[in-house]
Amino acid sequence: MKTPLFGSFKAPATSRHALGPMQQIDVPMRRFRDTDEVDYLIVGCGSAGGVLLQRLSRAGFRVVALEAGPFWDTERDWVSDESGSHKLYWEDPRITGGTDPLAFGANNSGKGVGGGSVHWAAFTPRFHPSDFEVHTRDGLGADWPIRYETLHPYYEQLELEMPVAGPAYFPWGHPHGYPYGPHPMGGVGNALIKGCTSLGIPVSIGGPVAILSGSRAERPHCIYRGYCIQGCKVGAKASTLITHVPDAIAQGGEVREYSMAHRIELGKDGRVSGVHYFDRDGASWFQRAKAVIVAGYAIETPRLLLNSACPGHENGLANSSDTVGRFLMAQAGNVILGRFDDPVRMYKAPPAHALTEQFYETDPRNDFVRGFAIQTVGPLPIAFARQMVSAKRAWGWGLRREMMDYNHWASLGLLGEILPWPDNRVTLSQERDQFGIRVPHIYFNLHDNDHKLIKAAKDKTMQVMHAAGATEVVQEARYAHLVGAARMGSDPRTSVVDKFGRTHDIANLFVCDGSILPTQGSANPGLTIQALAARTADYLIAQGDTIFSSGKRDQTEPRMRKDLAPPDTWGHGVPYLK
Amino acid sequence: MSRQPPQSAGPLPPDVDVSLLPRDARTGVAIVPSVQPGYYPGHSTLSQRPYWDKTTRDLVNDRVNHTPRIRHFSAESARFWRAVFDHILPQTDRASQRRIPILERVDDRLHNKRGEGFRYENMPPDPEAYRLAEIAINEESQSRYSAGFIDLPHLQQDVVLKAIHDGKPAAKEFWKQMPIGRFWALLMQDAVEAYYSHPWAWDEIGFGGPAYPRAYTRLERGEPEPWEVEEQRYEWDAPRYCVSDATEATHHLHSESRQNEFIPDESK
Repeated sequence: MKTPLFGSFKAPATSRHALGPMQQIDVPMRRFRDTDEVDYLIVGCGSAGGVLLQRLSRAGFRVVALEAGPFWDTERDWVSDESGSHKLYWEDPRITGGTDPLAFGANNSGKGVGGGSVHWAAFTPRFHPSDFEVHTRDGLGADWPIRYETLHPYYEQLELEMPVAGPAYFPWGHPHGYPYGPHPMGGVGNALIKGCTSLGIPVSIGGPVAILSGSRAERPHCIYRGYCIQGCKVGAKASTLITHVPDAIAQGGEVREYSMAHRIELGKDGRVSGVHYFDRDGASWFQRAKAVIVAGYAIETPRLLLNSACPGHENGLANSSDTVGRFLMAQAGNVILGRFDDPVRMYKAPPAHALTEQFYETDPRNDFVRGFAIQTVGPLPIAFARQMVSAKRAWGWGLRREMMDYNHWASLGLLGEILPWPDNRVTLSQERDQFGIRVPHIYFNLHDNDHKLIKAAKDKTMQVMHAAGATEVVQEARYAHLVGAARMGSDPRTSVVDKFGRTHDIANLFVCDGSILPTQGSANPGLTIQALAARTADYLIAQGDTIFSSGKRDQTEPRMRKDLAPPDTWGHGVPYLK
Repeated sequence: MSRQPPQSAGPLPPDVDVSLLPRDARTGVAIVPSVQPGYYPGHSTLSQRPYWDKTTRDLVNDRVNHTPRIRHFSAESARFWRAVFDHILPQTDRASQRRIPILERVDDRLHNKRGEGFRYENMPPDPEAYRLAEIAINEESQSRYSAGFIDLPHLQQDVVLKAIHDGKPAAKEFWKQMPIGRFWALLMQDAVEAYYSHPWAWDEIGFGGPAYPRAYTRLERGEPEPWEVEEQRYEWDAPRYCVSDATEATHHLHSESRQNEFIPDESK
């Protein structure tokens, strides 16, 4: 049998570590000893951790990233299969409650190198300028300690590094264009375009999505197989596993897989001295470090800080404000499903390929503040069956019948902004996980503004689906993404970290991941998380050794270090094939 | 495009109860069990295995060729839950050698303590949820028909399960220990993950299956790849002895807990 351009039907015959069919790296990598005092110890090698590890390693620091999951070999470990992809998700026990409990696992929590960027659908819209001053504008939510303009150069840079495919002109927020061309439309994108257009709603076609529409360097273009959230074996979808970690390792950074951090050690001098972690056999280790950056995402980050309580910090590290774990946010992610007389076959094309942000901003005609986006989604059969169970209460023969019509359905996801509330929080339960670490207990409650916004967003998205020509429209209520729970702010009494991610309480302890976001807009958070990580890295690099010895808090914005980006991930624009 | 329902190669097997078979909507005649129900005759994802990557191929091969043995459930509980899953995702339209194992996959998950990454605070751990539900469903059977679930005729079993599905059990006592809607969702998730992860189900619904490294190329207008099959619909009615064919749109419920955690309404 012939071999396709971008991969073999046979098993790879190489002993090297495959990150997609073309990119391969040598392992083992550099391994620091526990007794070595490294410069930075990063907890979690996901969207933020991968970028931080790469930047800091390239700048010459000695850096280790502890990762609870495995360091994937994408050819050996990943499959084109829904049920076979559970290992990509954080499926350790968590307890979920409140009036509106969140689902975790596959819904929003990654495990393994690359973290959430392995299983995201890779929509990469920027936040709008208004997102950075929600409280000032609307009297609810919170303001950020930075403005859009601060993050703007990092948005542009990360859009190149991933890179992002999308239209040449994106009209919402701060208007801009994308470096890689838009993707062709699948059946769901066509439905969104048709529905929006007939209602006079502008629509972004073919992105923005961090999936290659043309090959670049060692990464092939998208093959439209539809298994984005099962991990992109193709290597077309950006994840820090393939965009930043390879350069980090080449620069001497270390990724330590199967290392579950459970306690940050605080020294007598009031500075952290390292992190205790379990290896895959349950043995406990301690890695010394001059500074620690927690990048475990919105549940594991507060969980680790709370589990690190010690004398003088009885409520958890960096928690003098009682804000660790609070202001947790998820976005409303209701899925609107429409049945069409003609086949759609929504499993083809990436789930993420068209959206509208026309309803993103506060509209004074609404009875709520802030807004929502409408995006394509493309559930595969198991996900679709679960939607039919909720949206139509289907079971038995009714479910068999609905599923036989799978190819006639298209689905749109709304992404609705839920505001940060103090009672939406991560706490510790008395239950313990397989390592003996206390399990997080999460409480989530929708508030009045949230209910009104979700209802309006659902009705609008159903209207779009009808306008697209669907003969039947139903809805599954759910949530998407997680942010908050260790938010940044300029006031140490109401926030956990400053504008660079440094905890207000401890000078050499940082948090850098989705948990530091004060608000979330109705944009997918992945790009913003990586942009913030690159900026924090620039700050740490500019501060140099003062981080390791001094309590001085320089709030000067750092110079952007484009020169420290992975050399193969930006500035080319011309793909080449091996 | 419309066609005849799938035809059996041979006569109706003697053990098949005609009242449990779906029927041709035009004639009312039972559709005999076939190797591939659905509107895509000849569509075979497994025939495309040479074009899949090895890891995916090995995984799906294992799923088709290897059914885990029962290790979590007792023999009695296994018999009970097998009977329940025969209603949750009935397969009487499938030839016996082409039925998709569900109970074994659920048992395997519980045996290996694989969770989904979270548990609702008002739910017990999954094995306990199944244990409690077995008691509750038997109580429901006793309350309605004065017999255990397994001893009821097929249609009465369907009615019992519909009461759980509707969140309106006659025997309410055991459901005070866990929300009935959350258990139903758990049960459905386990069932659909087992059934719709199987390539025979992919063939039934016209899903193309794995496509790495080959790719999908016909993205628009729902067109099939050269190796996929055009839809050929036929109209069918559910079996005479069944109450699971009706669906109910729930889009008036905009939040997840309202949609899924319906608790029996005590006021009615």
